[in-house]
Order: sequence, then structure tokens, then C-alpha cells
Amino acid sequence: MAVCIAVIAKENYPLYIRSVPTQNELKFHYTVHTSLDVVEEKISAVGKAMADQRELYLGLLYPTEDYKVYGYVTNSKMFRKLHNSFTDVMCNPFYNPGDTIQSKAFDGMVSAMMVQAS
Amino acid sequence: MAQCVQSVHEFIQDSFVPMVAVLCSEDAEKVTRKNNLNFSELLRPFCRLTSEGHMRDPNNQVQVVKNLRISVNNVVTRPSVPASGTPSLAQRLLLSEVVSTCQPAEGGVANVITAGDYDLNISATTPWFEAYRETFLQSMPAADHEFLNHYLACLLVVSSSEAVPVEKFLKLSQEQHRIQHSGEYTNPKWFIPNTLKYYVLLHDMSQGDEHRADSVYEDMKQRYGAQGCYLLKVNSRTAAAGADEQIPDPWSQYLHKSSLQSQDHYEESASVLANNTAVENNVGGTPELDGHHSEERDGSLVNSLDSTHPLQLDTSGDTPGSLDALRAVAVETKAGTAAAAAASHGACLTLNDHDRIRQFIQEFTFRGLLPHIEKNIRQLNDQLVSRKGLSRSLFSATKKWFGGGKVPEKSIAELKNTSGLLYPPEAPELQIRKMADLCFLVQHYELAYSCYHTAKKDFLSDQAMLYAAGALEMAAVSAFLQGGAPRPYPAHYMDTAIQTYRDVCKNMHLAERCALLSAEILKSQAKFSDAATLLIKMTSEDCDLRSALLLEQAAHCFINMRNPMVRKFAFHMILAGHRFSKAGQKRHALRCYCQAMQVYKGKGWSLAEDHINFTIGRQSFTLRQPENAVSAFRHILTNESQQASSQQAAFLREYLYVYKNVTGVCDVALPQLPLPYINSSATRVYFGHERRLAEGEKQAATHVSLDQEFDRDLAAMWRDLEEQVVASANRGVVPATFQATQCCLNSQTDNLRFPLAVVEEPIIVEVVFRNPLKVPLVLSDVSLLWKFTLKDFSRPQDAAVGDALAFSNEKETLVPGTKQSDDIIATEVIPEFFLNPEETKVARLKLLPHQTGQLNILGLVYNLASTPSTGGTTVSSSAALKSDGPSPADGTSVRGRQDLEIQGPRLNQTKEEKTSVSHGPDRRLDPTITPPMPLLEVFFLQFPTALLCGEIRKAYVEFCNVSGVPLCGLRVVSTHPDFFTFGSSSLATPLTPLSPTSFENCSAYKTLATPPGATPGSVAAVTLVSAGDFGLGEGGSGTSNGVAEIPLEDRVLKPGQSTQLPLWLRGPDHEGVHEINFLFYYESAVKGGKISHRVLRHTVFICASRSLCVRATACRSNTLPEEEAEEEDERRNGSMLVFVDVENINTNEAGVREFHIAQVSSSSKQWRLHRCINPAEDKDCKLNSRERGKLCFRATRCKPVQATSAAIEKYIFADLSLGNEQIISSTTPCADFFFRRCPPSDSRRPPVAVETQGRLSRSQGAGPGGGAEDLTSLVRKCNEVDLDIIVLWKAFVVEDNKQVILEGQLHVALQTIGKEACSLTQKEEAQEMVLLKFKPELPPPMTRPSMEQLSHLIKTNLHYPESYRHPFIHKSLCLVPVTLTLSNCSLAQVDVIIDLRHKTTSPESLEVHGSFTWLGQTQYKLQLRAQEVMRVPLRACFLHAGVYNLGTPRVFAKLADQGAMCETSQQTATPALIIIINDT
Repeated sequence: MAVCIAVIAKENYPLYIRSVPTQNELKFHYTVHTSLDVVEEKISAVGKAMADQRELYLGLLYPTEDYKVYGYVTNSKMFRKLHNSFTDVMCNPFYNPGDTIQSKAFDGMVSAMMVQAS
Repeated sequence: MAQCVQSVHEFIQDSFVPMVAVLCSEDAEKVTRKNNLNFSELLRPFCRLTSEGHMRDPNNQVQVVKNLRISVNNVVTRPSVPASGTPSLAQRLLLSEVVSTCQPAEGGVANVITAGDYDLNISATTPWFEAYRETFLQSMPAADHEFLNHYLACLLVVSSSEAVPVEKFLKLSQEQHRIQHSGEYTNPKWFIPNTLKYYVLLHDMSQGDEHRADSVYEDMKQRYGAQGCYLLKVNSRTAAAGADEQIPDPWSQYLHKSSLQSQDHYEESASVLANNTAVENNVGGTPELDGHHSEERDGSLVNSLDSTHPLQLDTSGDTPGSLDALRAVAVETKAGTAAAAAASHGACLTLNDHDRIRQFIQEFTFRGLLPHIEKNIRQLNDQLVSRKGLSRSLFSATKKWFGGGKVPEKSIAELKNTSGLLYPPEAPELQIRKMADLCFLVQHYELAYSCYHTAKKDFLSDQAMLYAAGALEMAAVSAFLQGGAPRPYPAHYMDTAIQTYRDVCKNMHLAERCALLSAEILKSQAKFSDAATLLIKMTSEDCDLRSALLLEQAAHCFINMRNPMVRKFAFHMILAGHRFSKAGQKRHALRCYCQAMQVYKGKGWSLAEDHINFTIGRQSFTLRQPENAVSAFRHILTNESQQASSQQAAFLREYLYVYKNVTGVCDVALPQLPLPYINSSATRVYFGHERRLAEGEKQAATHVSLDQEFDRDLAAMWRDLEEQVVASANRGVVPATFQATQCCLNSQTDNLRFPLAVVEEPIIVEVVFRNPLKVPLVLSDVSLLWKFTLKDFSRPQDAAVGDALAFSNEKETLVPGTKQSDDIIATEVIPEFFLNPEETKVARLKLLPHQTGQLNILGLVYNLASTPSTGGTTVSSSAALKSDGPSPADGTSVRGRQDLEIQGPRLNQTKEEKTSVSHGPDRRLDPTITPPMPLLEVFFLQFPTALLCGEIRKAYVEFCNVSGVPLCGLRVVSTHPDFFTFGSSSLATPLTPLSPTSFENCSAYKTLATPPGATPGSVAAVTLVSAGDFGLGEGGSGTSNGVAEIPLEDRVLKPGQSTQLPLWLRGPDHEGVHEINFLFYYESAVKGGKISHRVLRHTVFICASRSLCVRATACRSNTLPEEEAEEEDERRNGSMLVFVDVENINTNEAGVREFHIAQVSSSSKQWRLHRCINPAEDKDCKLNSRERGKLCFRATRCKPVQATSAAIEKYIFADLSLGNEQIISSTTPCADFFFRRCPPSDSRRPPVAVETQGRLSRSQGAGPGGGAEDLTSLVRKCNEVDLDIIVLWKAFVVEDNKQVILEGQLHVALQTIGKEACSLTQKEEAQEMVLLKFKPELPPPMTRPSMEQLSHLIKTNLHYPESYRHPFIHKSLCLVPVTLTLSNCSLAQVDVIIDLRHKTTSPESLEVHGSFTWLGQTQYKLQLRAQEVMRVPLRACFLHAGVYNLGTPRVFAKLADQGAMCETSQQTATPALIIIINDT
């Protein structure tokens, strides 16, 4: 299960960040932010020609001591759910692309994916 | 990794240099002491050889030695480092010292790296890291498993002044031998048993005898050989000779690299290093309030350091030479500023001496050291070859040994056991390593590599892990250093070495050295990623400083990658910063955080950004950069923070604490506070006193208050009203300089001009605060900050400029609580102001100017505190925090200011303004204080809130001048001028009782008791009144702008004076709630002020409920006027019947019981009511709910006398009382309201009506063809009545079980005969909702007068006896004379045709049995002049008795000059019945 889920905008600012052990939130933010470097690297490595058929699965980005950071994955149900939910958010006519995500449905879905903090 | 000054090769070469020991006699020491140096220090700057040396390797190949450096050190016999491999405290201190003194230069070289959308400013070099590395490597203790830093040679130095120098040499030589071989000392370590001894005779040129020295040297040469000794001549400069001569000081950079620090750096680093657990790990956790806390500990620690300096423990013994550098540091830090004094190194040395020393080193190296090494290499090589006895080639030998055989696998446990394995110093296994090291030192890397490689295999087979790791490390290094790169750099050797050092040998020191070397090599090969990984791996918990430096280098590696990894850079920078701060390197920590900040700033990662800002703030604060700290904290607080409330509270407390310390330091001006947020554009400024709304029964004028919202429509309405009243005060012209008065300025008002305020009248500024935090804020002692320039407006302008004095309360507000000098401007202080979390709240602050001048309101001054000092939950939480350290929560408040800067509206006039963004000025906060002006207060007494439609009520209004200046020109203007009246000015006697209390139940009208004898309703009292008497100018014809002058006695209201005036109100004609606005206008009796006039607003809401509905119709009376002499004129002018239909439409059945019609009055210029011809007997017309009654009146045209002459514009009021008292309708208030009813009657009256007469005469003069328009009006005119009916009623209302009589009046304007007029105007919405038309409206088509209108031209009347007796027996024909009266109603000549012939086609004529016939002429053609009455005698002939209708004559009329138009049949009168009786 995930401990932290973040949706990052194209311009690398967070649209949505949620983490379960809230006392360590800052660390997760740092981790997510740092892993963007790897994402960028992986994306640029694929090149322009392959841009269209690029596999969305980036796999393990960045293993830290305690956690593993994964990029966007399509072949797991977890990420597909996230993707679908994100699509729903984007389809909301009242959502302004680029704003931070404030959606109950999305929240609920993310919570379901999270480690259930007791 | 940042760029280094040295290249990699240089760096590695310099890391491993031949070591040379020095043993010095005391006399020789004295000689060098003259220069403040010992012998090894003296040599140090010259230890790099500039020329190439040569040597031969075992294979007799010539090897070139370039750029060799040797290291010369005094012999130190004490072990510097415990064998454990962890650095000692002293070493740590030294390293920490070195790092903290090496700070980036201010404005130094910075790289701008652009990666993606990031532009980073990163220091290009990291000198502190290089300094650290150099010091670290130099302070590496000599280890047993390697020989690189073992002493190869020993310099024995004896002064020439010695009595027997040779003996001394001998002694020193023995000493050296004892140190090396006695076994007493484990330190220093010696490379080879027979160490090279080099004899140096030191000669002091200034003292000794040169010849003697030369002779001793000759002696030495013979004894030790020319290559084993040297005569060094120094100190050739006498102190007196060249004091002013400038000699370069090459020592400073070697000796004082770390000595330029200031005392506090050292203290910081030392104390925090000792207490490195004091700074806690803040990443991810709630930051502790330990900024000030640790500082306090710093203080105490510094004190303790003074007494027992940790360094003193190491250097306390007088033993010559411990780690000299370390001692130097200790000495210099203790001396503090001794650096300046120590700068005079080499004072007795000339440049010649420098050359001599240089030459000496070269001689020693090339003649002594290199041959010695060469010899040893040969020896070792020979030994190895002979011992193994197998092959000359090392390669083949090793291959033979290990080629087939594998190293037996051993368990980890065994490895660990053998890791501590020590070979004896002369063990054969070490010989090959020794040889490798020697080769390495003389730059023979190829041979060194093969030796290391061999040694590595040896050691591995022996499971001597430490030795193996050392060999691996050096093998990798030498492989790298081999020129021409025959083999790739074996990075895995390094990795294995590091791992072995760290995990197996637990020797972090060596692992670190290895990592530093490896990282540098990897970096040079652009393998940044590997280097970063290596560096990050080396970070550990045990040493913060090392971790910090390595993390920082790793960060630099990330940013230097081909695709710069900006975020990794930032993250590792933060980690580095964190470790720096733990290591007490605050400056470095701050720098790291600042660099990381560049990446995180403004990218939406608010949590991280806040954390960084917070850390920057704290570090800056502890580094005594409070300004930076404050700005960093400010950033956290003003941001839209997503932190939890507890975190925010912590931020706020910390900020307040820091801030307090800042302000404690500087006391000159108050700094800006970031909290709370002020929405400056929403600031409102109100001029004037706060209104008291009610005072007992009095109800004050509402005026303007801050509680009202600004409404653009309302503002426009008030502006219109003000314009009207100003125009009326200035004889109908609005002055060009007119500006509407604005009492309350806000963002939507026009703020381009300086507002005008009046001295001694308060100025209230409403400021909108918003608390962006989730914690409450408390502001206290809030007051406005202002600047004031004194100006006297009564004097001429130039004089005023001369003595302009500026004041400000900035100084006074510095300290809260001090009473300000209020003589210029009294400033109100709000003692406490709470702001709940995320609350928006307004504060109103008052200023009271006592002087005239120009005021500028600059901003606000207040104390900011986080929580109130008392409070249940907050106390407990602050108590919890107190356990961590002194909590600033209790009552910490800081004083600061916030400026109010209001941006004006965006300019959008010119093209330039449209294309750029420019804002106009906003002068809301810069009022001009003008001399005193009168101030009016208006109170209303008995002012109703609900009225019946048309109800008349009397109220009182009180005008009060509360200023010290007389007031005049009082006027009032209203949106509903028909709502109220002050009575006519012509009223001679005040009708009303003076006090309002005695007024109760007294009619508002002026009444007269009707004479007892007179029949009610029959006599119409007639009064002539001019509209001008009622203060309306030209009454109905004027524009009636609704401005009324208020009749004041003497027209002036003196200071303090108040006057009460009656005020009549009439309920609006339409039901519903009406908003009625009054604008009172007044001027100062003293003219020439800056303010021309002032206004006072009042708004009332009146609820009008339905009362009566009056409909009236007028129709022409067909009866002939009575034949009376005095009625002749009336008969000529005609009379009219007026039907008044009154309906009670009141719906409030409980309230109003019944209505009485008390009186009906008429008002007209031409007509008057004559008498009531109501057939009903009830004189007092009562109407219950939903009842309606009909009244019938006869109206007559007035006498021409009245209608002509000067009285033409006068109105005739005729009263027909139906009760027992007559209300004089021609006086106040009845007539007032009649004249004020304007809008309906004015709008309905066609504007052409007035000018018709003029046009008519013109068209008559011009002859026929005047046009249809004239015709129309002409025709219409004849149907026009201009009669207004006033119905006066009384309503009996039950209110609180008391019967109250209400009175009222309704107006109906009759305009056209036959057309019904109603007191309730029809719904006009249909007209108002007209679609917008963009085309100009077409002029209305020339309407021809309608048939209907034309049919009213002539009024016909048949005059005949009602019954006629005729004896048909006697005479069969009955002739009856009938007179047909034709009266021309119009003002034009009319051609009339009378046709008496019965219509044959008419079916009704056939019905009449036995119809009659007209005798005589059957058709008449007549012409009637204007208003002419003509009688035509007719005779009717009847054949039988019966009832006949005489109304058969058909009358056709046409206007005389309209020849083309056919005649129109005139309206027939009602059936004229005649009874013919057969008289028998």
C-alpha cells in the first residue's frame, strides 16, 4: 500500500499530495520532489520520436532507505484507479486545469489506496 | 562536486608526498625563531620542486620526477591518533575550525546553471571542502599497513654558532637512531630501517663567523660526504637595515590558512561540536524553539571553554611538536587577533635567503633523497627477486603463485578475525608494499601499480584485510595516475577498499580518505552519478561535519551532471545544510539552505518551502543576521500556509521572538510587520462624527455611516440631488468646480482629489484585517500613523508655504503606552483587537485634527502577539512548550507598523495607459484639514413609518447647528418632493401649536366651521391662490426640481442654535414601501472657505397602504343654464358635470374602520366646482371597507375677469364641504401638496396645450392651411377641461383600542371631457419597460383629429316645453315651437349644417308610429364664431297625441377654414322627449 500519493503538474508543482503518516509529511514532500529529477530523466531519455507510444510505466524511480518511489504505472490496478479518478477530476467542468485538486471523490479513492493508519 | 583549484593529478600527488623529519639543535632553533618560525616551517613554502629530477628504476630505465613536493615535519614522538581509526576530538576540532573559517567570499564567483525552468546561482568552488580535505589528509596518522606517510629521511640541523657542531651532529644522529630503533616510541614511523640522515649546518649571517661556518662545513663534507650535508646560510638581513623593505611572505598562506577567523566563529563551532546533539533533527518534525535556546548554551559553553580549553589538553605538555598545525590553531585561536602579530614571518630573511633555502631543498632532494629512494627500491627489488628466487619479473612470479590456485573461501567471521592481523614491521610481506609506496612517491606509477597489485593478492591470500584494502586503494590510484592510461581505472578496487575499511576494519578515517580520492577521480572522469553515490554512502551518523561536506559535494555532483538533477541537488543541499547545522557550521548551513531555496521557491511545494524558510530564519537569527531572519519568517507567515495550526503557532512564536530581538537592537524606526494581512484597497475613510441615530423621541438624520455598503446607484442619486440643490443655490447654474461631497471614501469613490476634512471633526479610518493563519492573533495598542504639515488657510498661499511645519507621530508610537501630544491631532488607540483564525475583521481608528493643514495617514502601529495572555487551552499548550525552553508565548508581543498603501484605479484613458499597466493616485488617506465649517444636525420628531396613500401627517423637524460657525442657506432636496412640505412662506401666522405635544388629535388642516344655516355641499367657497406662494417657483409650469428652501428665521442658524419647524407629510399615492431621500444643503455664513457647502443626507422608508380610489369623469351638461342674469356668463361659457366615484380599497380591515369624505375641492385656472348636485341625502359620505360612493357636482367656468388680467396664472380653489367644517384647501398643507403633486399632472398634460393659443392666433392670421397639428390641438382644446379635484377624507382608525382620525387628500386631474381620471395612476410599468431603441424615434404622424373629437365641436340643445296640450279635435295639426341652441365649444369658426329631414333609412324612425315632422326650412347652413351660441327657432308638427323624441335633427359641423374636410355628424344629445296631450 502506498504511504504517499502525489499528482504533479506538468510544470512540476504539486496538484495533490497526500500522505498517511502525517507527522512525516515534510519528508515525503521532499522525497516526491526529488524523484521528479528521475522522472524528468526517464522521460527525456525516451526521446521525442517515441513520445507517443511511450510506456507510461516508469517503474521504480528512487529507492530510499525506507520507501520506494514509483512513477506512473498503468499495469497495476492501483495506478489505473488513480488514473481513472484523475481523469474524472479533469473532466469536471468546474475544475480549472492547473489548480490544486480539491475533490472529495479523489480524496476518497486516494484514501482507499493508502496504508490505513490506525 | 564543485570545481577544485587543483587538478586531480595534482591533488592526488600532493596527498602522498615523501615525508622528511627534522631534528634540530636548540641553537639552530634559536636561529629560526628569529623569524617566528621553526625549521620545518621555514622550509615549508619551498618544498615544491620546480625543476625535474631523474632516477633510475630497477630495470635501469630513467624515470622523470616532476613537480615533486616533499613534506618536512618536526619529529613528534607522541601518537597523534588512537589506533582505533576514529578521529580524535582534537582532530575534529581542527577540521571543524578549518571549515568554519573558510567561508565563501562575499559576492564571489557564482555559476549560473540553467536547468529546465530553474536558474540557479551556485558557488562555483567550495574552498571549505578543499581546505577540509587537505587538512584531513595531512592529519592522517601514520598507519602500520602503509608506508606512504612514514618518514623517509631525517634532517639533522645544527647551528654554526655551536661550539662543536660535529659533536652536536653526532648527538642528533644518535637521538634519531634512538627514536627509530629503541622501541620506546611507536611514533613517528619510519619507512626504512636505515633512514637517510642529512646534516644541515645552519648559519646565521647576522651573528656568526662565516669563515668558521665554511670550515666546519668543509669538515662535514669530509665526514659525511658532499651529498650528505649542507651549509644553509640564513638571516642575512639585520633588523635595523631593512625594516622598511617589503619582503614577500610566503609563509602566511601555509601557516595561517585557518587563523583569520574571528573569535565567535570559533566559539560557535567548538561549542556546538561538543554539543552536537543539542540541535535536533528537524527534517519532518516540528521545529523546536531552540534557536535562542542553543545560543544560551553557547554562551555558557564559551565560558567553560575559556577555563578548560579542550585543545589545551592535547598541547599542554611542552613536548616539542605535536601536530604542529593543531597547536598553531590552538595558539592562534587563543590569541584571537594574534594573526596580525604573527604575520611578520621571515623578518630576517632576504630574497637571497629564500633562494638559498630553495636551493637547499633542491640539493637535498636530488642529491640526497632521490638517490636514497632509488637505492632502496633497487634493494627491495633485489630482495624480493632473490627471496622468491623464481623470476625477475614480478608479473610472472605473481602469476605463477596465484594463477591456478584460488584463494580459499573464508567465512565472514574468519575475515573479521583476521582483519586485525598485523605483520611485524620488517615482515617480508610488507617489503613489496614498501617498494610500491616508494615507487609511488617518486611517481613511478606503473611499477607501483604492479607492486600494489601483487601485494594486494598477497594480503588477500593472508586474509589481512586492512593491508589488502590499502593495497587496493593505492593500486586504483596508481592505475589512474599512469600516463597514457594502459588500463582503465579500476573503480571496483576503490569500492572494495572502502567497503573493507568501513565494514571490516571499522576505520572510517581510511574509508573517508579512500572515498575522497575515488570521488575526485570519478569526477574527473565525469562519472558524477557514481561519485555522488559514493559520497552519499560515506555519510554516517557519527560525524556530522563529514556528512555535511560530502552531501554538499554530492549535491554539486548532481547539478554538474550532463542532465542536471536540480531537485536532487536541492534535496541533498538541504540534507547537507541540516548536517552542517548539527555540526555547528551555521554559516554553511545557512548557505546550503539558501541555495536549496532557489529550487523550491515559488514552485508550489509550500511545505518544503516553509521548512526551508523557517530554517533560514533560525540560522540567520543565530548568526546575528536578524534582518534576514525576519524576512524569512515573514515569508512563512504571509504565504498562504498549508501548515497545521500548531506548526503555524510555532512559526509565529519563533517569529515574534526573533522580531523582538531585532527591534530590541534597533530603536530608530518601527519595522514592518507581516501580520495580519491588510486589505488596503478596502480601506474606508469617513469624515465626520459618528451619528447618534436616536435621541429620545428624536430621530436623527441617517446621513452616511460606515455601516452602509457603498451603492453606485445610490451614490449617483445623491450626486444628482446635490447637483440640483447646488444649482438652485447658485441661481440655477452648477458651478464648474462642483464636486459632490463624499463623506465616506472607499475603493469605488472618486479618490483623485485630496479629500477635505474639517478641523475639530474626526476622521475615521476603517481598516480591513485578515488573519491568514490558523492561530488567533491579538493586536494591541492599535493606532494610526500619520504625518501632518501645518498650513494656515486663512493666510495667503505664499505665506503658508513659508512656515509649513511637518509633524509626525512616528516617534511617539515607538513605545506603546506613551501618551502622545494630542494638541495637533488626537489619535485614538484601540487597546486590544482580536483576530480569530482565518478571520476577516475591520477596525475603525479615529483621528481628531486640531489644526489646519495637510494630513497624510501613513499606516498603522500596533503590538502583535500570537495568543492572548489568558485563556484555558492556550495556557496549557504554552506550558508544554515551556518545558522545551523559554517559551515566548507568554505575553510576547512585538511593536511594529504596517503601511497603508492604496493603489489607485487602473488608468485606461490614453492608448499608452491602455497598453501598459499604470495606476492613478488614490488620495483617500491624504485629507486636507480645512478651517471650521458649520455642522448641521437634523432631527425628526413624530415622523411616521407607515401612512395611508394620500394621508396627511404633521411632523416636526429640528435643525441644530452643532459647530462654532454660523450656518445659512439651508435647503433641502428630495427624491420625492411631493412627499413633504414645510408650508408656504406666505403664511402669515403660524397655524400650528408651537410644541408638538399639544398637537395631538388636532387636524393638520386649517379649518373653518361652516355657518350653521348653510346647507353643506351647496356653497362653494372660492379662493384665488398663486402657485408662487408655495415656494415652487412657477408651480406647475416650472421644472419643479424638488428643491425647497427651509424657512429659517433670519436665514441663519447661529452656533449652538437649534430650531424646530413643522413638516407636513403626505403618504405616497402608490402603496408599498418607498425609499425617500432627503439632502439638506447648507453653507457657512463666512464665505471663502475651501468647502463651499456641506450636505446632510437622510433616508426614510415609508410604508404606504391603500386608502381610497377616486375616479372622476366630467361631462358636458346638456341642460340649458338657468335664465338668470348673473349666470349669463356661465351660460355662455358652459357648465360641466363632474362625477366623482370614490371607492374604499383599503385592505387593512382591522385598522381602518371607515372613511369619510369630508370635502371635495377643486383647483383650476378656469373651472371651479359650483355645487353638489348629489341626489342622495347623506351629506357626510361614509365608506366602509370595499364600499364605493358616487358624488356628483356641477362645475362652472370661471368669470372672464378672473380668467384674464394678472390673475391668469392663479389657481382658483373651490371648497365644497360635505361635513360641518370647511377645510381651507388653498392654504398649507392642502395647497402645498396640490402644487407638489406635479409629476402626474405635469406629465399627463400635453405640452402643446399651453402654446395652443399662441399658435391659434398665428394660424388665424396666416389663413387656412395651418396644418393638421393645429387642427388637432384646436379640436382637442375644445374638449379640454383643466380641473383638479381634491378629495379630502378622514379615516377612522382603531389603534390600540383608541380611535384615531387620520386625514388625507387625493388628487384627480380631469383633462378631457368624458374621459375618466383616477387618483391611482395606472400601472406605468408597461411604458417603462420599453425596449431600447437605437434609432431616433420617428416624429408622431400628423394625426388628424379623430371623428370622435370632431363630433364634440358643437353642443346642441333643444329647448321645448315638456308637455304640450293640444285639442286635436279642433285642430288636427299641433305645432310646437322648439328652439335649437347651438353652441360652439371650440375657439374656431365652425360651419354647421342642420338637417331636419328624417332619415328614411333609419329603422327606428319607421318604428315611431305616427312620427312628427319638422316644419319650415329643413336644412340650415350656419357659421358659428368661436364660442358663439346661436338659437335656431324650429317648429315641430304633430298629428297625434303621444310621446315623441324630438332629438332627430342631425347636426354636421366642420371647421370653417378646413374646406376639404367633410362635415362630421355631431353627437346627438340624449333623447328629447315631448308629451303631446290631447286636450279635449
